[in-house]
Amino acid sequence: MISCLAMQTLQQPDVNFSLIMPELIVTVAGVVVMLLDAFQKRGRESRWLTGGVSLAALGAAAVSCLMLWDDGTGEAFNGMIVLDRMRLSFTLVFVVVSALTVLLSMIWVEWERLPAGEFHSLLLFATAGMMLMASGGDLVVIFLGLELLSIATYVMAGFRRTDLRSNESSMKYFILGSFSSAFLLYGIALVYGGTVTMDGAAGTTNLREIALRVGQGPYPALVFAGAALMLVGFGFKIATAPFHVWTPDVYEGAPTPVTAFMAAGPKAAGFAGFMRVFLIAFPFVAAVPAAMELHSAWLRTLAVIAVLTMVVGNFAALVQSNVKRMLAYSSIAHAGYALVGFVAAGAATERGAQQEAVAAVVFYLLAYAVMNLGAFAVVTLIARSGDRRTEIEDYHGIGFTAPALSAALTLFLLSLLGVPLTAGFMGKVVVFRAALDRVGEAPGNWIFTALVVVAVLNTAVSAYYYLRLVVVMFFRERLTEWAAPRVPVSIALALLLTAAGVLYLGIFPGRLIDALRVAQPVVSQLK
Amino acid sequence: MERYLLTILILLPAVGALAAAGHALAPYRRESHYRWIALGVSLATFLLSLLLLRGDSASAAFRFEQDVNWIGAIGARYHLGVDGVSLWLVLLTTLLVPIAVLSSWRAVEKRPAAFYAFLLLLEGAMIGVFVSLDLLVFYLFFEASLVPMFFLIGVWGGERRVYASVKFFIYTAVGSLLMLAGIVALWAYFDTFDYPTILRAMTSGGALPYGPVAEFWLFAAFAVAFCIKVPVWPVHTWLPDAHTEAPTAGSVILAGVLLKMGTYGLMRFNFALFPDASRRFAWFFVLLAVVGIIYGALVAMVQPDVKRLVAYSSVSHMGFVMLGLFSFTEAGMQGALYQMLNHGVSTGALFLIVGMIYERRHTRQISDFGGLSKPMPWFATVFVIASLSSVGLPLLNGFVGEFLIMLGMWTSDFRYAGWMNPRVMTMLAATGVVWAAVYMLWMLQRVLFGRVRNRENARLSDLSWRELGLLAPLLLLMLYMGVHPRPFLSRSERSVRLVRERVVAGEAGGQAQLRPRGAGE
Repeated sequence: MISCLAMQTLQQPDVNFSLIMPELIVTVAGVVVMLLDAFQKRGRESRWLTGGVSLAALGAAAVSCLMLWDDGTGEAFNGMIVLDRMRLSFTLVFVVVSALTVLLSMIWVEWERLPAGEFHSLLLFATAGMMLMASGGDLVVIFLGLELLSIATYVMAGFRRTDLRSNESSMKYFILGSFSSAFLLYGIALVYGGTVTMDGAAGTTNLREIALRVGQGPYPALVFAGAALMLVGFGFKIATAPFHVWTPDVYEGAPTPVTAFMAAGPKAAGFAGFMRVFLIAFPFVAAVPAAMELHSAWLRTLAVIAVLTMVVGNFAALVQSNVKRMLAYSSIAHAGYALVGFVAAGAATERGAQQEAVAAVVFYLLAYAVMNLGAFAVVTLIARSGDRRTEIEDYHGIGFTAPALSAALTLFLLSLLGVPLTAGFMGKVVVFRAALDRVGEAPGNWIFTALVVVAVLNTAVSAYYYLRLVVVMFFRERLTEWAAPRVPVSIALALLLTAAGVLYLGIFPGRLIDALRVAQPVVSQLK
Repeated sequence: MERYLLTILILLPAVGALAAAGHALAPYRRESHYRWIALGVSLATFLLSLLLLRGDSASAAFRFEQDVNWIGAIGARYHLGVDGVSLWLVLLTTLLVPIAVLSSWRAVEKRPAAFYAFLLLLEGAMIGVFVSLDLLVFYLFFEASLVPMFFLIGVWGGERRVYASVKFFIYTAVGSLLMLAGIVALWAYFDTFDYPTILRAMTSGGALPYGPVAEFWLFAAFAVAFCIKVPVWPVHTWLPDAHTEAPTAGSVILAGVLLKMGTYGLMRFNFALFPDASRRFAWFFVLLAVVGIIYGALVAMVQPDVKRLVAYSSVSHMGFVMLGLFSFTEAGMQGALYQMLNHGVSTGALFLIVGMIYERRHTRQISDFGGLSKPMPWFATVFVIASLSSVGLPLLNGFVGEFLIMLGMWTSDFRYAGWMNPRVMTMLAATGVVWAAVYMLWMLQRVLFGRVRNRENARLSDLSWRELGLLAPLLLLMLYMGVHPRPFLSRSERSVRLVRERVVAGEAGGQAQLRPRGAGE
């Protein structure tokens, strides 16, 4: 026994810095920005410096991520960090989200006279956390990433210290977030206990090890309970019904750029961790009955949750009078659509099909991030300082007074709705395809037809609330004085990028879809 | 040129829309510029679309095909083509849009740049619907036509425009989203969106990758979308609101072209892709068609508003088109196609006429009028001609279409459900013609004839040269199509026959076959 331990300590640590380059760059940049802020005189220009450094760091992270793109799959740090297409594509989504959030926040920190450096460093740390969630091959790393992300986001949500709503938002997020982290942690602990083997070896938190040990140990029920708790924990993070209750309050109270970030970034990161854990640790294994049972249990639960999430999100959004609340519920609904793809990935029995479904989910989340951040860019600008104008009434008749802004918002709303030629449409098409591909593969898979039909009908419901904003902007007359806001450079840039992104993803998504999936399936050739 | 003609037809209006919108930024802009841009672009599109008649326009094959890769990763192709079924619908579209532009000449004062931009965008999308041969591209244009129409109704419509526009959007979006699910399912089965490729795979003799139950759901997903668009009773309720609230140009386009997307879609996609389900559920559609004919006519009769009356008459007329399609006879289907054109021409003209009187009096209530033939003889003349064409008077176009449809249904030897007799159905439908005469002539009598009871009506100015000029092509078409339908029918004949064969081929239980037929047969 002792000799065995000695051998382990003598082993060369499996260190590979090039594999965690994106995470390293972002973390170092976060520290640098914090120091820059500390040693700089508070002035109007400091936000350009810290913002610029943040953008440069995110750009560098994107480049390092692309350099890893063709390296295939791998592992480092004894399986703690993995390298695959799923991780890299999620990392790119996070970089896009954070970069756009930096652009969105530029004018806002100016209006509110907030310390820009602090905000930007928090954002970078949150980004590092998101990246770790996507790259972790071990439950511990995923949990660490989640906490790094969460703690930074709690602070960001309460960043407008003097505003009660912002405080409330931060507090709520903190309490419920900690609660859900605890669920996740208990789940991890139970899984660790459940993976103890018959011959007495300790449990494991390594995802691939877990997959091998499911149903082999003396306490199979522990793994079941652990998986259930983790499902709840992740469900909280990505705001699925019935674990979504915190979302509207937190999204409404948080400063608008932070809301934009939270709806796009941490949600995608939650999906990254969720999919990684459940697809790798609890897969479909035909030979092991316990694993089969676990697999079908979480899959069914998730299918039910997907339906609930779509229905609750869309129907609650119908009755909102506040734009930020409406977009909060819409983000719940979109998590539901993405879950349909996740369930399809879980049900896939072969690797290529699973990667395709994962690619569909990543594409969907990227499309959602771009269109959502675009919509929030307009909302930020119209809300002005203090987030005062976020009611739907504030949008009455602005359509022809501020045509460019309203046209941009209309484009984003149509994309959220899923009108052709926009990113949202393509996202829905690929996710639906992933789901319908499963039909007929197994007897119970008619459920995927049902999921798609539910998603489609929900989309029709969502038309009402997205169009409502378009209607008040263009079809109603303004009764009070209103001057179109001057569009600052940073927001103009963000709007241009997101609008171009929505159209690009909607019209020429081919190259991206190809890049996201590893195996190139035969397309447009009949069998 | 030949390969790109259809793309040009789609893009030219879109470019015109950009030009109109962009012109709003020009320093030398004048309000009148926008309508000249719109008129120029739409006329140019019409003239270019006439090139479609060149060559062997009676061929059953797709002509002017363009087939390039669009999104390779998902197997979507940019595939366009036109055949006998879509040829006349494209021409109808390109004809009606310049007329719609002319009709808005004085009526649209609010934000003309945006108005004409949306109108032109709509034209591009409508042409796209009729010529796309890739299901994803088809869906794209089908949905894309929704957004400009939504804005046309919502910004430039009447008092209840917001309600009408949202209702229009949601109704049609529900249907088309179900169709999207169907399209994605077909894509999952065949791994392509390409319509001819899917059709070839279906008819190549192998077994279908899905069973009859799945075929039913696929069929239903497409059929619901198209039936809402047509609209078939009982999902027609968006139509009276949308038509009544839309600006004149919007109503003309809506009635003239948008409704045809539904019947066109049924013919092109439902019949060809799901022939078995089409046959199995034909009785249901025949029933809905007959109910729609009679219901539309009866409701039209009691409308106090002229525009609403015309709107309900559309429900009745589109019922005839549905009946013709599901008669599964060549005469019936040809008649249905012909009736689509007739309805576009005559209902389009009726909406224009209603718009003209609305511009003068700002009311459409039948009770506000009476004796208009005295101050406005020209107006009365064209109104009577257009109404008679809509009723189906012999020598005018409506007669040809309705006659062919009823002939087709009468002679149909297709076995619907056991209790359904095609002849009984024909007779029931024929009562619709009688009802049409009743509500139209009664309306004419109350609006045009008798004494001038309301003093405001006594001094109305008659139609201007512009108004007469924009109605003239439609009136001429009514006469021409009424006495000489041959050029129209001969060009669609072989394509329609192909569709019909595809549907009825499996009736005897044999393998569906697609046989190209020579001209000599």
